[in-house]
Amino acid sequence: MIEIKEVTKKYGDKVALDNVSFSVNDGDVFAFIGHNGAGKTTLIKSIVGIHDFDCGDILIDGMSIKKNPVECKKLMAFVPDNPETYEHMKAIDYINFICDMYEVDEEVRKNNIKKYSKLFGMEDKLNDTIDSFSHGMKQKLVLISALSHDPKILIMDEPFVGLDPKAVFDIKEILNEMVKEGKIVFYSTHILDVAEKLCSRVAIIKDGKLVKWGSMKEIKGDKSLEKVFMELEENK
Amino acid sequence: MKKLYSLIRACMTNDMSIFRFKTKKNSRLSILLPLFIAGYLMLMIGGLANSLFEKLSPLNLSYLLLSLFAFSISIMTFIEGIYKSGSLIFNCKDDQLLLSLPIKKSTVLFVRIFKFYLFELIFNSLFLLPIMISYIRWDNNLSWTYYLTSFIMLLLLPIIPIVLSCILGFFTSSLSSKFKYKNAAQIIISMAVLVGIFALSFNSEGILEYIINNSSNINELITRIYYPAGTYAKLVSDFNIVDFLIFIIVNIGIFALSVSILAKFYFKINTRLKSVSTTRKKVSIDNITIKSKSQISSLVNKEIITFFKTPVFIVNAGFALVLFLIAAILIALKHDTIMPFLINQLSLLDLKEDVIMNNISIIILYLISFTAYMTSITNSIISLEGRNITILKSLPIHPKRVLMSKIFACLKITTTVLVIGDIILFIVLKTSIIDSILLLVLSVLIPLVSHFIGLIINLKYPNLNWENSAEVVKQSTSSFVSVMIGMVLLMLSSIAIFSIIGKISSTLILIISTIIYILINSILYVYLLRIGIKDYNKLTI
Repeated sequence: MIEIKEVTKKYGDKVALDNVSFSVNDGDVFAFIGHNGAGKTTLIKSIVGIHDFDCGDILIDGMSIKKNPVECKKLMAFVPDNPETYEHMKAIDYINFICDMYEVDEEVRKNNIKKYSKLFGMEDKLNDTIDSFSHGMKQKLVLISALSHDPKILIMDEPFVGLDPKAVFDIKEILNEMVKEGKIVFYSTHILDVAEKLCSRVAIIKDGKLVKWGSMKEIKGDKSLEKVFMELEENK
Repeated sequence: MKKLYSLIRACMTNDMSIFRFKTKKNSRLSILLPLFIAGYLMLMIGGLANSLFEKLSPLNLSYLLLSLFAFSISIMTFIEGIYKSGSLIFNCKDDQLLLSLPIKKSTVLFVRIFKFYLFELIFNSLFLLPIMISYIRWDNNLSWTYYLTSFIMLLLLPIIPIVLSCILGFFTSSLSSKFKYKNAAQIIISMAVLVGIFALSFNSEGILEYIINNSSNINELITRIYYPAGTYAKLVSDFNIVDFLIFIIVNIGIFALSVSILAKFYFKINTRLKSVSTTRKKVSIDNITIKSKSQISSLVNKEIITFFKTPVFIVNAGFALVLFLIAAILIALKHDTIMPFLINQLSLLDLKEDVIMNNISIIILYLISFTAYMTSITNSIISLEGRNITILKSLPIHPKRVLMSKIFACLKITTTVLVIGDIILFIVLKTSIIDSILLLVLSVLIPLVSHFIGLIINLKYPNLNWENSAEVVKQSTSSFVSVMIGMVLLMLSSIAIFSIIGKISSTLILIISTIIYILINSILYVYLLRIGIKDYNKLTI
């Protein structure tokens, strides 16, 4: 479970997150929606421990990310919007590096690397250096390395950007599989129709403030998610 | 012209963002330290120049010193430039943005060389300004032309060294772009060029003798060796508007001509450098070895890969190590010629031959100290993470492990080279077993101090938002501050070593040094854990 409790984050005088509180339960596919600069990436980076925040707390399975960052991070995998990797490394070395950091058993990592690299069509690219990869291939590599340590919580920032339709379809399948196992998928997106079909819960953030959150049904009612989002955007 | 101005402004604003410090509490300290070091350096140079001017002033020759200083600073700029010109001009992160804009490609090259020029101008000013100011006191007939000539000199002096180093940068990049393993080729070629220049400078007696024999006075001699330096002295002692204008036109002409010629090859080389060769042989996943490692050894491995895949990093950090190894090999192969040369050099410090020969371990200690303090790998190791810092910060690793892995990786590189050099020197110079063991321990402890300082300084002055790795390796506040601290430490340790050499046994000096270095390392380790980790946690992009 992820609990975000009254989190406030400022960049100088600018309030990026203003007293944000909500929770994500086990088995949720949670969509985090907002306009550009609304504070989505700031909150995501706070959850995964990249950013510090000024007030409040974030609990991962009851543990504070501020007090127990390493233990919290062991439960999570993060896929950033721009696939950051060590470009000089071979793809397999990068995945192994990530697995080493999560102290993944050799047998488990072998099976997972095999499974996910085949799924994303990367099995014959693992021996190549990353600097020869396209944006989409790097995104797939980051996904493979994130999934290879069987995270309990998968956190993604705009995961579908730059991916081919087959990869997008495969990710949706993986997310469904994870949810069936009671795991959490939390991601930010601008593709509202995918979020509407895929997610059980949603939160909408605007100018650093949480304006709506709850189950998908509660939030959208009879309207489409796009319509709800546009109405909230227009109410300035 | 408007586009060029906008482009220069945009690039400079981005580069100068490293000087914007976020928190008020840290800002004063962060700005004060480099300013203090720069100020102190300028005062030292001004003081040195003043004492030299004082001796030459009665002979009315102080103006000659100006040209000698200008010449020495140009040589420094040239050597500095060779390290970084290739990396600064090629393979920039903003290539995609700039090359897609409706601007001439030669404009992009101009802006990159101009940025290089501006940084060298700051570097030159640190040395030249205090000398120029000191001179004012010692020339009674000073007129406004001195100020004009000096100002123009300050602006124009970096041009020729920069142009020369850019030509060498083009040469090394062009050659390495033709190889499959471009990075490795670039490292080897750059090292070969640097070692070649050093070898040439040690074997230039013949050329110098010819110039000396064919020059009627010192100023003509300097002019023949390096035109701008000699012209400067000439203009200060006897101002002539024609010579002054020719001087300006020659410098600006050289710059414009070089940019327009280099621009013809620039994009071909840049494209070739960017083309990445993939492993064409497809390897089945079943045939790939998947092995697990401990967190720390995996992190160390990652650092070593980064080191060997970043040419400017390895050339900058590895040069002193290569020189140490070459020195050790030369002493082994040409013992009979090198040793008298070394003894001759050390006699300048009032050291007699028997003292040197009885304390040869201390000479090795000095060589180790010199190599260690000139090999500050860690001063850009955090900055080089760039945007990838988010990877490390999102992973379940304690910051202590991240930081120590960087220290271990650098130690692995320096110790390997130092130990090989040490063993050669021990065999050739026949040091005692106890001295050899102590020197081996010091080969770990002294670089460790340098690595701790570099890392601590880089955590204080990180620049994660760079366009080019050379910017952080060679042109950052972090590298400036830590190199200066390294030089001060080298100076202090040299003074300490050479003031007691011969007075107590070499073994005792080595034991005292070992104890002092253990103490310094312990203090730095505690500081890294207490303050360094806090700085690491604040890192953000």
